Amino acid sequence: MRIAKITATTVTTAALALGVAACGGGEAPAEPSAASTAEASGPAFAGKELTLWRLGDSNPDAQKYTDELVAAFQQETGASVKVEWIPWPQVNDKFTAAAAGGAGPDVTEIGNDQVPLWVSQEALAPVTDIVGSGDQAGIPKNLMGMETIDGETYAVPWGGGTRAVLYRKDWFEELKIEVPKSWDELVAAAKKVQAEKGSDVDGFAFNGGSDANHLLGSLAWTSGGEYAVKEGDKWVGKLTDPAFKAGFEQYTSLVTDGLSSKSRLTQNSSDIRTRFSNGKVGMYLTASWDLATIEEESKGKLKGDKLAFFPLPSKDGGEAQAFLGGNDIAVWGTAKEPEAAKEFVKMATNKDWGVRYATEGGLLPVYPEALAKLAEDPAQAPFAAAFAKAKAFPADPNWTEANETKAVLQNAARQVIEGKATADEALAAANTELEDILNQS
Amino acid sequence: MTNTPTLARGGRHASAPGRGPSRGGRGKGLPVWSIPYVLLIPGLLVIAALLLYPMVQVAIIAFQKVGLPQISGRRPAEWVGTDNFTRIFESQIFWDSLRNTVVFAVIAVTMTLVLGTAVGVLLSKLGKKMSTFLVIGIMCAWAVPPVAQGIIWRWLFDAEAGMINWALNLLPDWLSTLVFGRADWTGEPWLNDAWSVYMVLIITVVWASFPFIAVSVLAGLKGIPSDLYEAARVDGATGWRTFWQITFPLLKPVFAVLTVLSIIWDFKVFSQLYVLMSGPTNREAFNLSMYSYTEAFKAPQKMGTGSAIALVLTVLLLVVTAVYIRQLVKQEEL
Repeated sequence: MRIAKITATTVTTAALALGVAACGGGEAPAEPSAASTAEASGPAFAGKELTLWRLGDSNPDAQKYTDELVAAFQQETGASVKVEWIPWPQVNDKFTAAAAGGAGPDVTEIGNDQVPLWVSQEALAPVTDIVGSGDQAGIPKNLMGMETIDGETYAVPWGGGTRAVLYRKDWFEELKIEVPKSWDELVAAAKKVQAEKGSDVDGFAFNGGSDANHLLGSLAWTSGGEYAVKEGDKWVGKLTDPAFKAGFEQYTSLVTDGLSSKSRLTQNSSDIRTRFSNGKVGMYLTASWDLATIEEESKGKLKGDKLAFFPLPSKDGGEAQAFLGGNDIAVWGTAKEPEAAKEFVKMATNKDWGVRYATEGGLLPVYPEALAKLAEDPAQAPFAAAFAKAKAFPADPNWTEANETKAVLQNAARQVIEGKATADEALAAANTELEDILNQS
Repeated sequence: MTNTPTLARGGRHASAPGRGPSRGGRGKGLPVWSIPYVLLIPGLLVIAALLLYPMVQVAIIAFQKVGLPQISGRRPAEWVGTDNFTRIFESQIFWDSLRNTVVFAVIAVTMTLVLGTAVGVLLSKLGKKMSTFLVIGIMCAWAVPPVAQGIIWRWLFDAEAGMINWALNLLPDWLSTLVFGRADWTGEPWLNDAWSVYMVLIITVVWASFPFIAVSVLAGLKGIPSDLYEAARVDGATGWRTFWQITFPLLKPVFAVLTVLSIIWDFKVFSQLYVLMSGPTNREAFNLSMYSYTEAFKAPQKMGTGSAIALVLTVLLLVVTAVYIRQLVKQEEL
């Protein structure tokens, strides 16, 4: 008996302790050994090695750009750069491990909406001096709303991203569907695709995963809604406003009207992209960085004129408001080579490499004259148009918790879709929760 | 079970006469009584380092605010008293998780024990070859690692490509309508709703854990003298009666241990649920382990609240186990 009891207790405690506490943190060196070198001239960093984290799935275009940038940097400074590709869904986990004292990068690409969170975790080093001089002084300051905190800038905008609807142009031509100009036309087009291509095809894919708010946000902003507004030093939730509710109902109707299957309520845009590559999606909201990966995933079957974009239409025609997304590049707080890292960021975001990063990676350049030139290109016009009207999520370090970890609005949508709550009930609960999350210290 | 301590004591006495003279000859060395303790030290040190230290840390962190800056040593941890506990007790997710954890454990433990016992009794009635064949078969299920279990059942219950929906569609329409009230199962999303996720989870866990119970019961049955069963048969007892009058009372100690182990295993299920839901996606279907993981490791990391949840789960489990064992002691079943 005594043995049984001891065994039971030991097994219990052992299992629990191992399960939860295995994360005991090792002490990381607090201060990077800042080898303060003199002004970089010539091969100032010869023999040094930088680690660069590029985000997303590697694809030929991005790979080529990165290779060339790294080669040019090595030629100029003598430092070699090791590149690691981190798929978007893993980004927060990798940052977490690095910020907790694991192996981190020297330089990392970072989504602009992630910057406040990682600054609050003290994971990024300030780069204010870079954006204050040289080419980078020409980047409009309104693009640095998320990056500037208490007067210090922590990341340099690298490329602007905004989303539009990617659709199967070949299907639309085959089924004689016009490019939708209003929401009703989009719904009709999606239904027609499903009727002809099989019921397991999503006419317009519902995104309920980690980046669901890109889709919901577009719909809600277009109908005039807001997530939350800062009044004084407090966030006030606006989810119960009729305008937000209209966009939210449009969002849930994608599933309740059958445009997207009920069995995939948690898919994010990577999951949707994979299904799109396999011919199971007619339309979804994304950006042109997916094109290269789709070509790869579909083994070359889906490319070129089989695919095209159109701006997400609003309910009464016209273009919807898109998310002001974008990728930045930043110096990691515990970089082993902070000086070389800064030099790399400076070079990567100059007019030459910065514009190339955007245009070759399917993003919008952050330099105004390059953006104006891009808007003349018909293929890029939908994005340039959407970019002009783009809006951003609440700029708060806690936004990620509401957006991804607690998935506040995804949860509200699920309850409405499954009939457990009305839109009013679900949004009222979500509003309280959003306020609690954004206002916590 | 009761024999074990006696044996250990016997062993100690036996070693005493042999050791005594040689120790006296050297003039130094350990007193006889201390030898078992000295031998235990290496084991205790390993347990202390790998188990006690992290456990104490969890308990400490539960009363602190710990995020990434604190973990990496850039900032000291901040004491917050019982704030972490207040916060989780105010959260609806906690109460949903608690309900899911407890209801799941009750159902899964019951089903595992019932099914395991039934299979164990069946095994004992089979011939040697058939019994060996079955034991090997079911032990394969038991040997499947938790993540693989989750993947197997997630595929089977997949909405579009899953075997389950395919098989349900093969049923004659009238039968399907009669039993389930519907005939078409195409695209049924089993892994959406909390209740259906838990149904699949229960199947997964019971499937993988009943073989252990079955084999343990079989081993226990081998120790029951067969003349008891012969006597029962002569008296004309039914199989049901034989089980409750002979098998069950004699195997009570075995059942007691198996129940405790099952409770412990099923309270802390994590991997299978993680795989079935593809990560912490649907918070209505969290259990306490999943909630703790999400709080502690998903951005922004709150190791404090995560530890607080873990502590609650630990205490809950210790209480359940203690109450159960106390009950057994009272009934003198062990």
